[in-house]
Amino acid sequence: MQTILHSFKLLAPKPGKMHFNWRQFVAENLTGSWLMSLWLIVLTAVVGNYAFTQLLAAPVTTSLVLVVWVLTVLMTIMAELQKEHTRLTLWLKGNLYSSITNVQISLLLVLLILSAVRGFYGYAWVNASFSTDPVPAAYESTIEDVLVKDGVDLSRMPAGLPFERITMRNAAGTSTRQTSYLLSEDKSVVTVTTTNIYTGATWGAVGDNLANLFIFRFKAPELIGRIWLSLGLLAVLIVPSFVIYRQERFKRSIVRRVLNWAWFLSPLVLYALLRGVIETPGTILTIVNPDVVWGGFLLSVIIAVFAIVVSFPLGVLLALGRRSTIPGIPAWVTYPLAAVACIWLLFTSTPEMVATSRSTFSTVISYWPLLLPVLAYLFQRSFNGNVVAAFSTVFIEVWRGVPFITVLFMAIILFPIFLPQGMEVLNTIRVLVGTALFSAAYLAENVRGGLQAIPKGQYEAADSLGIGTFNKYRLIIMPQALRLVIPAIVGQFIGLFKDTSLVFLVGLFDLLAVANTISSQPNWLGIRTEPYIVLMLIYFICSSGMAWYSRRLEKQLGVGER
Amino acid sequence: MAGKLTPNIPTGQEPVPFWRDGRVLGVIAQIAFVIGLALVAWWFINNIAANIVNLGSSQFVCDDGSSSYRCAYDFMSADAQFDIAETIVDYTPADSYWRALGVAALNTIKVTVLGIVLTTILGTLVGIARLSQNWLVSNVAKWYVDFFRNTPLVLQLIFIYFSFILILLPGIKEAIHPLGLPIFISQRGLNFAWPVYLPSFATWLAFLVLGLIQAQVLWMILGRREEQTGHDSNRVAWVIVSFVLVAGLGWFVASNDHSQGVLVNKSIRVRQFGDFEQLIISRLPVGKLSDIDRAITDGRLTQDAVDEASVKVCVLRDSASEANFTAQLRSLGVPYSVQRFSRQDQVTEAYTAGECEAYVGSTAVLAAERDVLEDSGAHLLVSVHETPMRLSLPRLEGFNFVGGAKMTAEFTAILIGLVLNTGASVAEIVRAGIQSVSKGQSEAAKALGLSESQRLRLVVLPQALRVIIPPLTSQYLNLAKNSTLAQAVAYPDFWTISYTTINQSGRALQLMLLVMAAYLSLSLAISALLNWYNRKAAIVER
Repeated sequence: MQTILHSFKLLAPKPGKMHFNWRQFVAENLTGSWLMSLWLIVLTAVVGNYAFTQLLAAPVTTSLVLVVWVLTVLMTIMAELQKEHTRLTLWLKGNLYSSITNVQISLLLVLLILSAVRGFYGYAWVNASFSTDPVPAAYESTIEDVLVKDGVDLSRMPAGLPFERITMRNAAGTSTRQTSYLLSEDKSVVTVTTTNIYTGATWGAVGDNLANLFIFRFKAPELIGRIWLSLGLLAVLIVPSFVIYRQERFKRSIVRRVLNWAWFLSPLVLYALLRGVIETPGTILTIVNPDVVWGGFLLSVIIAVFAIVVSFPLGVLLALGRRSTIPGIPAWVTYPLAAVACIWLLFTSTPEMVATSRSTFSTVISYWPLLLPVLAYLFQRSFNGNVVAAFSTVFIEVWRGVPFITVLFMAIILFPIFLPQGMEVLNTIRVLVGTALFSAAYLAENVRGGLQAIPKGQYEAADSLGIGTFNKYRLIIMPQALRLVIPAIVGQFIGLFKDTSLVFLVGLFDLLAVANTISSQPNWLGIRTEPYIVLMLIYFICSSGMAWYSRRLEKQLGVGER
Repeated sequence: MAGKLTPNIPTGQEPVPFWRDGRVLGVIAQIAFVIGLALVAWWFINNIAANIVNLGSSQFVCDDGSSSYRCAYDFMSADAQFDIAETIVDYTPADSYWRALGVAALNTIKVTVLGIVLTTILGTLVGIARLSQNWLVSNVAKWYVDFFRNTPLVLQLIFIYFSFILILLPGIKEAIHPLGLPIFISQRGLNFAWPVYLPSFATWLAFLVLGLIQAQVLWMILGRREEQTGHDSNRVAWVIVSFVLVAGLGWFVASNDHSQGVLVNKSIRVRQFGDFEQLIISRLPVGKLSDIDRAITDGRLTQDAVDEASVKVCVLRDSASEANFTAQLRSLGVPYSVQRFSRQDQVTEAYTAGECEAYVGSTAVLAAERDVLEDSGAHLLVSVHETPMRLSLPRLEGFNFVGGAKMTAEFTAILIGLVLNTGASVAEIVRAGIQSVSKGQSEAAKALGLSESQRLRLVVLPQALRVIIPPLTSQYLNLAKNSTLAQAVAYPDFWTISYTTINQSGRALQLMLLVMAAYLSLSLAISALLNWYNRKAAIVER
């Protein structure tokens, strides 16, 4: 407050103190180059034009903004001229009004942001309806009113739903809805036209589906209790974790060990609660079909957590495999083998294929055994004959090279082909496995990054202790490497969590799938934007929350401080 | 130093037992790994073989009716029988699956290449904006980056497509037409003016090449002189001026080509192109063509009457002749209406039947078609002025735009979504890259007296690029892979069409292999290209 008052005092000119070289100012800021002059002219035109349209659209806020803008600009100019800055003018000079261009851009951006906020506020709050009752909530007159006015006998109206509903948007932003009913007796059609008085969002559509969005795909009251139990279990584990894993005095305590075990066992309990273990129906732990029951936010979380947990050991193994330097198959074994196989196949497979081929392309393909020596050469050159490294590298690169959607479809379509006949695997499980393998490849690369960052001296020191390879990695290399890559793994988890929104394409009912079904529910036909906005909010809060936690973790662990 | 350094091998002790020898263990582990891998592979192959028998031999049927693994891809030569909404090259449902997939691959390449170019531009701008001195600019850029990085891409795509393009944008009749530019934005996508090329373009192209060569030579000569004399000879301006001169000359020369014509009946008394003006004036009660608009507003004329009197033009669909002819009619102010046909003989038929009075095309074709007509003497071939290029403008006819180029709503959605999403990541990379160049470099450049643009171009950017390119590569790869999300907005990219093919033919195994191979090669191609560039941009160490 003090500084603002003081800044106002600056507005009164003190003639003796001002020194200003107009000529230099003009040369530096206006006519420095023709490009600068042109840019200033264009910018001034755009800002002036936009300010004028905003003044017409929202006179009060815009004039307020303009007055504040003029005052602060004047303050900054006077402060600069008198070489006497207050804290406010110094900040303004540095951050908003550092040049003529910036003075204008700041105004433009403030006006743009204000108009965007005003538009969204109008849409999401002022003109929005919040009732979950579709018809009376959103429409000026209820259908019954219109029917009674038109002299239709209400007792002839069916109890069920309308068979057709057309929504038309009017120029004024309101919408008209024509709802057609089939009368129960003589099968005649009554069409009722109602006008929506709410031009903004219909949040009721989301509210009506909130349970679906968050928990189960179908309303199953006896199962909701199990969800609450699972959440309770997680809460019971998480809350003490914050205390116990933070504080030094629990480091060797039995409490911490118990908690470790509880965490290790929690997946089993959660599985029992979410999937069920008992065949007979009606009990608290009856087995449910995840394809049918799991959905919404629950499914997204299950997929992301399962994938990251399962992919962790797999990823570490793959990373170690890719970096392994164990002596491989020697060249004197590989080359003769490849040569023999090549020649043998050239004489057995190729002639047959050439005989049946009908195009040049398939004739060329027939000579595929010639690729074997090339592959053998590449294998020897890149991996020194190390099968483990070769397998890990190829596995990682193939999974990383294909899009996630194709992985999901592969899991759904090709999974059964790889399994023995008669072995049925649920779609949800297929997607879980596919996602875990996909995520393992990315995790392996993250872990490899950590392994590479460990200085060679650490490896050599461990070797000189003679503690063996297993202990070397367990006690010396891995703890350091994993600490380095925790932020990267959290980042990967965020990516995975966002990617789970793709599973709706293979028919699982995650958040996005539920949002899509809302628009085809009879009560909320065509409503899409509102659920999408809520989803964006959910994903944004979760992802940025995790990113924030990751940054804090990074600071705590002191990554990058060495 | 006296004596020889010998490794201190403990003699007399037992040698390391083989189960503790790393090399032996490695070999054993490797052999075990190979055996394990082989066992798993054998199990999978057995299962696949059994399952395929179960699926039936129809999966691998050959043309002659027999069944063999070799014929796994033979079904791809059959008719695809589905249509693709958006193609770069010609495609009909009667084409083979191979062609359908090729067409779809082109769509993927189109969206990837355009996406990479636009993403780079957007990402660089936002990255620089994040480092802006202006607190508001850098914060707006930060909000943009945070928002797009913390929400799923598929949600963004679906939002752009369903909530923005399909709900907020107007229908095609009320398309947004910003600032009078030839751009129309509607629910159906974006229609905009696009150049079409006439036959004389070849001549002009030759001049353009010539111009480029002389510009290069001039650039070198002036550069050498600059080095010798030490005076700035303003060579950028000279080179541009000389190139524009040659190009202008070429345009003038090419415009004298008389390959375009219009066939009219002698009875309407059009002897040369300008006579179309007289034709309309004779049909309407106005003295000048410019009076028509005023007459309509006065109520002396109705729009229907003008339409009735307009020049009826017949032309082959998608021909450059139409753009050339109608552009000149527009500049004369002559009202016209166009009928388009997909085959030449249909145009001729319509012209003979009197459905139109001006038959537009190239002179050679028109002369040949006139000879076919029964009363060929009654028709006159009027030459039409042509330029090497014409801007084809979109015009609303019925419920569709005709002419110009079009971006469908689906393509627009996937392109905007990919660019906004990847742009946010690229912005962070660019910001980190620029920040990685130490301040001393900029200060040194200023001390040397380099200008602002020289400082960025010669000092900061080359050093920032070293840091930027490797993560940028992975963002480009992400963009290419994420283009498969086109399925969510029904844009016919490679994956979407492959999936359609799987559903239609039932050959999941073959097509999934093909899809994986295709995307792996796309990824490899992009990373090979950028690795090559990276080697060029990398520091040359001594």
